[in-house]
Amino acid sequence: MTTILLILIVLLAVYTLSSKDLLHGVIALSAISLLSAILFYILQAPDVAITEAAVGAGVSTVIFVWAIRHSQRKDDNHG
Amino acid sequence: MGKRKAWSPTLQACLAIGAMGVVLLPVFLSQTPWPTVARDYLMQYGQDESGARNLVSAIYLGYRAFDTLGETIVLLVAVIGTMGLLSRVESLVNTVGDDDNTIQTVSAFSLRGDKRSSHVLRTHLLEVVTGKIGPIVLLFGFYVMLYGHLSPGGGFQGGVIIASGIVFLALGNQQDNTSALSKSSILGGIESVSFLLFIIVAMSGIFFGKGFFGNPLADSAYPVGFIVLLNSIIGLKVGASIGFMCIAMMGGHD
Repeated sequence: MTTILLILIVLLAVYTLSSKDLLHGVIALSAISLLSAILFYILQAPDVAITEAAVGAGVSTVIFVWAIRHSQRKDDNHG
Repeated sequence: MGKRKAWSPTLQACLAIGAMGVVLLPVFLSQTPWPTVARDYLMQYGQDESGARNLVSAIYLGYRAFDTLGETIVLLVAVIGTMGLLSRVESLVNTVGDDDNTIQTVSAFSLRGDKRSSHVLRTHLLEVVTGKIGPIVLLFGFYVMLYGHLSPGGGFQGGVIIASGIVFLALGNQQDNTSALSKSSILGGIESVSFLLFIIVAMSGIFFGKGFFGNPLADSAYPVGFIVLLNSIIGLKVGASIGFMCIAMMGGHD
């Protein structure tokens, strides 16, 4: 179970780095936070899991979306 | 991006993995066992001394409360910096005016429909869902905050969930019924008052002969009261400051 979660996290991280639409990257980042919260819960650290879910999937996503909205959505100088 | 060709992504990835290996290698190679003194002491006495069944909050409010003070100061500085940057953006908008559409979009996003300049990233679905789910999230945040000594969670976690609830309520105001929780003056007041209370509670241990952040209730029947009090104060402070920051970013300055 942890192996599947870790592989998914690495795949999503690679997608985040390579996606040209920054909003898709932010959503993938939020999914990474959710998956690592599940991972922390499986590894018996529920306190860290709550923090990761609230900060990573909630607040930081709001801040990133705000930043994208006030800059630009497409990654121009990519490749 | 000059005339010199940038490094290929494969080479960059190899360099990053190599650097990570160099950093992590001593951890895998070291033969020294992990220190166990503090762990054994906390396992044996932690629950009785602090009264909290959740050993994590027993440690970070009972034994390591000084670290928590540092964390709250870091959060305070982050909020001050964000507000400083945002107020500068506001003054830029006021001087530039409406003809420049790159900076014009600063207002909006947490305002009502007719006050917003654009409807990007904000739909009816978002408004309905956040308006309904906001109070429930707020209640859950208070639960996590107040029961931090028994169940997983605590002041910081509960505070962040409360901040999410505040942001949801600010996003879900379809009509003119804005709640007091989305006013920045009230949130700022809650934050500064709870920080003052935090310092006062921290110093109260001095008058009972326990020292700074000592537990004044340590000899009484319920030493856990100190942790509950600190959890509630930290939860209010974290919730107010993060909610304040998010609402200010989304443009709800009124």
